[in-house]
Amino acid sequence: MIIIGERISVIARKVREAMAARDPKPLQELARQQFEKGANYIDLSIGPAEDDGPQLMDWAVKVIQEVVSAPLCLDTTNKAAMIAGLKAHNNQWGRPLINSASGEEERLNNMMPLAGEYNAEIIALTLTEKGIPALAEERCEVAANIMAKAMECGVPMEDIWLDPLILPVPFQQDKCKESIRAIRLFRELNDPPMKTTVGLSNIANGAPKELKGIITRTFLVLLMYEGLYSAIADPNDKEFMDTMKTVDVLMEKRLYAHSYLEM
Amino acid sequence: MPFVIPKDSYAGKINSLTFGSGDKAVTIGGENGLPFLSFESSIPNRPVVALEIQDVAPSDWPDTVRKVYDGVSSSPAQWAKFCQDSLGAKIVALRLVGTHPDRDDRSADDAVKTVTEVLSAVDVPVMILGSGHIEKDAQVLKAAADAAKGKECILGKAQEENYRTIVTAAIANNHKLIAMSQLDVNLAKQLNILITQMGFNRENIIMDPMSSALGYGIEYTYSVMERIRQAALVQNDPMMQTPLLCDIGPNVWKTKESAAPESELPEWGSLEERGIVWESVTAATMIMAGCNLLVMRHPKAVETVNRLIGELV
Amino acid sequence: MALSGVEIFKHLPKTNCKKCGYPTCLAFAMKLAALQESIEKCPDLSEAAKQFLGAAAEPPIRGIVLGPKGVKVGEETVLFRHEKKFVNQCPIALNIKDTEGTDAIIRHIADVNSSEIDRVGQMLRVDLVCVSNESGDPAKFAAVVKQVAEGAPNAGLILNSSNPASIEAAIAHCAEKKPLVYGANAENLDAMVSIAKGKNVALGIYAKGLDALSDLSEKVKGTGVNDIVLDSGARTAKEMVEDYTMIRRAALKKSFKPFGFPIISFVSRDDSTFEATVAAIGTMKYASIIVVDSIEKWKTLALLTLRQNIYTDPQVPMQVEQKIYKIGDANENSPLLVTTNFSLTYFIVRGEIENSKVPCHLAIMNVEGLSVLTAWAAGKFVAGSIANFIKESGADKLVAKKELIIPGYVSVLSGSLEDKLGDGWKVAVGPREANQLPAFLKGRA
Repeated sequence: MIIIGERISVIARKVREAMAARDPKPLQELARQQFEKGANYIDLSIGPAEDDGPQLMDWAVKVIQEVVSAPLCLDTTNKAAMIAGLKAHNNQWGRPLINSASGEEERLNNMMPLAGEYNAEIIALTLTEKGIPALAEERCEVAANIMAKAMECGVPMEDIWLDPLILPVPFQQDKCKESIRAIRLFRELNDPPMKTTVGLSNIANGAPKELKGIITRTFLVLLMYEGLYSAIADPNDKEFMDTMKTVDVLMEKRLYAHSYLEM
Repeated sequence: MPFVIPKDSYAGKINSLTFGSGDKAVTIGGENGLPFLSFESSIPNRPVVALEIQDVAPSDWPDTVRKVYDGVSSSPAQWAKFCQDSLGAKIVALRLVGTHPDRDDRSADDAVKTVTEVLSAVDVPVMILGSGHIEKDAQVLKAAADAAKGKECILGKAQEENYRTIVTAAIANNHKLIAMSQLDVNLAKQLNILITQMGFNRENIIMDPMSSALGYGIEYTYSVMERIRQAALVQNDPMMQTPLLCDIGPNVWKTKESAAPESELPEWGSLEERGIVWESVTAATMIMAGCNLLVMRHPKAVETVNRLIGELV
Repeated sequence: MALSGVEIFKHLPKTNCKKCGYPTCLAFAMKLAALQESIEKCPDLSEAAKQFLGAAAEPPIRGIVLGPKGVKVGEETVLFRHEKKFVNQCPIALNIKDTEGTDAIIRHIADVNSSEIDRVGQMLRVDLVCVSNESGDPAKFAAVVKQVAEGAPNAGLILNSSNPASIEAAIAHCAEKKPLVYGANAENLDAMVSIAKGKNVALGIYAKGLDALSDLSEKVKGTGVNDIVLDSGARTAKEMVEDYTMIRRAALKKSFKPFGFPIISFVSRDDSTFEATVAAIGTMKYASIIVVDSIEKWKTLALLTLRQNIYTDPQVPMQVEQKIYKIGDANENSPLLVTTNFSLTYFIVRGEIENSKVPCHLAIMNVEGLSVLTAWAAGKFVAGSIANFIKESGADKLVAKKELIIPGYVSVLSGSLEDKLGDGWKVAVGPREANQLPAFLKGRA
């Protein structure tokens, strides 16, 4: 399964400070660590960055790709910053991934055309101005709307990664199954099946620290069983990565060898 | 209902591997799809055939193939030159079968002499193969690797029981390495992992899934190879993306079909053509499963196979 | 059916009436999905449901029966043999041109009739003859077809002509023998379809390129002819691999009905060995019928063996008959060895004994086709069962000295086996690897 490494996020103090000071080292350190542990993409979340979004994004993309040969997942709602990131992105190891469009009209209209213009792949959240739909089928309706916009913008179906959105089990236990079901229904929306992604750590938000690990990686197993294509997660979490690799082996997506966990 | 070409897309690609130098260099691999589907993938390099020679005269080879080399096969250097100059071999594969304890039990030093002679005799790349005896090969291949330093040969074969010594020698002397496992896709992956963990560059590994002759288990090799390519190209498993080698001479030419005279089995037809077609069809099967490098014996079979390759790419 | 049990269930009456013999409609639906039942069993299906389920129940690639011996082609379900067994071995057809002389044709017929060989207990042969209307002349064509039909009565016929008049003339001599009429194309379609329907025979269609072929196939199917065989005009090995892969993928992965039919492959080369390798490519990559120009015994041996190998069931090992095989000029002083009936084991051990030039008795024991170690681990190749086998086999009458050589991998059995054999039998332990047999046997002599 594809892993998008989530550690470079403006929410983390270390990252926020490094960005403000334009200090590349902490970002590069985090990028390298995640890449070595098997991240296929490095997520770069700069937040709203209202003041200097484009310059920040341009700088951050370049310093990260200086040290890892991987494509980036560009995480911002700021359109100008997104454009700057797409322009600065080095495509030789893969195309950039826009994080994200959604079923909200403005966000969809801002982000989807960029995927077409810059030949990028794009994550699309199946929520609308009304929030996250309760049922998996309702998320499919939002997805269908997103897919129609994609066709208008010349974005192929294979370039869209649908995200059903994960609600935390301590508060919304009754909604967790719907996200799992949504993955299966999303795949059926097209042939070949639509790609999917989730921000996995959301499932354990609000749970005590000692429970986060077991909740997250068990939820991962259920999602992967329904065919989850990728996850935004922390590849430094060894138990999480071991679980992911083991599911891949059990579902015949990865060839078994006695040392499979070391790969 | 209009027809739309059902194209598959592949996440992975086979490593490209070059050995030899100058205009004699040979490159294999590099394809990014299942064999010969150029409508959905690119095939930068065609499969290549290496001609086999041995360090001792092939008295155990059936007549059909032995007699081709009568006159040169008592001298490995002459034999190598004959393959390069008269038969147009792109690669010469020297099998040190004489070092096997059940054969002449030649020493590592004997092997070194032969290797040195052969390397001086030809300009084309040379493959150095042990006799297949686990313990002896470790000694022999280490010595051979040292003797061939600077020549960037293909050294083989490293197996689960003896890979450590051979890998170390390959690293020290900058050779490419053949890793062989016994018809098992998972063991093949594991061996590549172990070799890579020793510090050997995985892009210099060639996988030998263990060949079988037509009628003697060929379908096992065929399916193991198809599964290896699925892992490499569809699952993008970096441990399975090595080029594939099929060493078919020994298995083909010890079959009854390659040696029994027509008088003994009239329903099997003429012996001469039979041996050649047995090697040719075995090779064709391996090529269809993704083989990048073949080691063969009979020049007519090689010629036939090269014609086939020309029609496939 | 490509449909799942749940999808089928949606179209059933959902009354659980049990008339189909199953307790619930869902149970019946599951059986239908597994292709273990037919929809006829439900008397209460609506017309719409019957139509829908009927169409979905069609196999992705049609099965067609050819020839007086009923050779079946098609019905394939996978692209790779390791996924699931390939279903119907592709018959080989010898091409005979109607311009050849009578003597040549007599020889060809004799070759076809004497082509049968036994490979691991399976009888394999050249099953079909393709008569080609090189002359363009209906009378000549018909005469040769008659000659072949009478001379090779067991062979299925392929009538190869794009001239409907030739087909009309020839088919009179063989219509009831289920021939394949090949040569329908865009120009002669109506006439050829008329013959196919009139005589109720399969129709081979030709169009250059897959777009044209799919159009033609759809047209033919639309006339009510269902037994169609496809020729995309692929003649080079590259075209064969690409076209046949695209056809098979479209049929299996995209449910593309126009390509849900067997493929005929014409392989003709100036060199017979080269022709064999191209025919081999067709065998591996989805050809359902392979037409070749010559069938020398050494060539058919190779092609039939390859075909048998590729079409073996990856789940079920090939096995040889349980018995004591005499290898070489074995007599009462020759060694007696025992091993399992996995065909690969048998061939390899037998081969090494022959290489050693030491004649032996090789006792092959039925363990359902497992190799030595696997059979031992499964409890099928153990002291008790081996002892019974040897005692019942009459081996004690074959050899003067009652000594049994067992494979090195089961050396642990030697003591116990000696006990169970009793009667003065001794057990010797052979080598672990078959390739050590020559040294072992020569060393004992």
